Amino acid sequence: MNYSFIVIDDGELDCFIVKRIIKLAFPNAEISTFTDASPALENMRGKLPDFDNHCTLILLDLNMPVMNGFQFLEEFEKLPFDIQKGYKINVLSSTKNQTDINQLAKYKSINSFIEKPLNKEKVLLLMEEAQSQAK
Amino acid sequence: MPEKIKILYIDDESDNLFGFKASFRVDYHILTAINIPQAIEYLDQHPDIRMVFCDQRMPGKSGVEFFEEIRSSYPLPIRILLTAYTDVESIIDAINRGNIFRYVRKPWTEADIISAIDESYRFYMTNSMLEVKVVELEKAYDELNKFAYSVSHDIRGPLSGILGAINIAREIDDVDEMKEMLFLMESSLKKLDTYIINMHDYYSIQRGELKISKIDFTKIINEIKTSYLTSAEAKGVAFNLEIKQGEHFRSDELRLKLILNNLLSNAFKYQNQKNPDKSVDVNIGVEHNTATIYVKDTGIGILGNHIGEIFNLFYRANYQEVGSGFGLYNVKNALVKLNGQIEVNSVMDKGTTFKVTIPSI
Repeated sequence: MNYSFIVIDDGELDCFIVKRIIKLAFPNAEISTFTDASPALENMRGKLPDFDNHCTLILLDLNMPVMNGFQFLEEFEKLPFDIQKGYKINVLSSTKNQTDINQLAKYKSINSFIEKPLNKEKVLLLMEEAQSQAK
Repeated sequence: MPEKIKILYIDDESDNLFGFKASFRVDYHILTAINIPQAIEYLDQHPDIRMVFCDQRMPGKSGVEFFEEIRSSYPLPIRILLTAYTDVESIIDAINRGNIFRYVRKPWTEADIISAIDESYRFYMTNSMLEVKVVELEKAYDELNKFAYSVSHDIRGPLSGILGAINIAREIDDVDEMKEMLFLMESSLKKLDTYIINMHDYYSIQRGELKISKIDFTKIINEIKTSYLTSAEAKGVAFNLEIKQGEHFRSDELRLKLILNNLLSNAFKYQNQKNPDKSVDVNIGVEHNTATIYVKDTGIGILGNHIGEIFNLFYRANYQEVGSGFGLYNVKNALVKLNGQIEVNSVMDKGTTFKVTIPSI
């Protein structure tokens, strides 16, 4: 199984850190970053992922201008199922807001919620989980 | 001396009207109506009527029926019934149906009426003050909620970013990579700093008192323009200023500067990178006791469906540069204090023009 990552966060520093931490855990991982959620979505809409031997993990921030994490999830869940199942969405946020957290329950496509800051252990855990699910 | 309390008295006997007016006209502003249509006309013309006295027994409609009728259309004035009835049941009925504040037994004495007026006026004032306070409080609570939310994101966000960066710094050996990260950390901290400064502005606009002084727009612009000249040069943006002030203008300098600074910083911040002829034009004119300020940019523009929301607290319509969501909200609040107006005209990818008008105080 091959894994790649998509990081969606409006903060450039956050994108940098997340990318760097993933690299730390998986030096050869393929990582793309987006500071704007809508082009990320357009990219996914465009192509049918090769999910036979490949899984893409998404790390999604919540509080972003124009299209926030919730709106992204909303749109993602409208994508054809064939596309959706190529991705595992993990919300990566610093939110402490209960309304935010409650609202997440509504989206079936969410795999996990990770509290910022991300670290190597959290990435390893995420991968471990992804691998056990794949088996 | 405060203005006289405006009172409307309705009675079908002109003698009573005359007597009422004669007794109280010195201390109060008395309007008298001989029938209900005339009373309604007065209520329409004088929204500042504080209380209505009405006789119960009138041809066509009783006082209670009249009160029942105006209760929803003119809810503010306090309703007082004058009645010769001694029947308790009918008085209770009057209170329940007409929702009257109290009644005065006929024939009335001057002391009865004065005590009714005093009592109702206190009730009226308390009520209307309460209403104003409730609206203020609701707004304050709403903003507090937004603040709590924003604190968790806009303050905790950059901080957890910095913490994360420090954590991985231990693993980074490459100097260039380290420098890149330091640069990103710096912008993140600057953003946090701007946020805190804006939060302070927000507080001073809301709570601070106005300091009115003579305004020299040329002087103000000269003071604030320096901070934009560098950014104009760096980004290749032509910065054009035109000021025509032929008369005195009085306003609050701090708030004027805040308005100009926010509009200017937005104009530079949201430039369209693809446009080779970038410019920011500021045009200020003062005439007929009014200052008109135009801030025009050749920026990325604001989508039509976002325009209605850009003045809302913490609303950000854009990705290009990171804003705090405070700027235009602060502008709008400052304008409320100065009795000014703001209009926006924006075309996507062409630019945005803000027009601000402020009366001299």
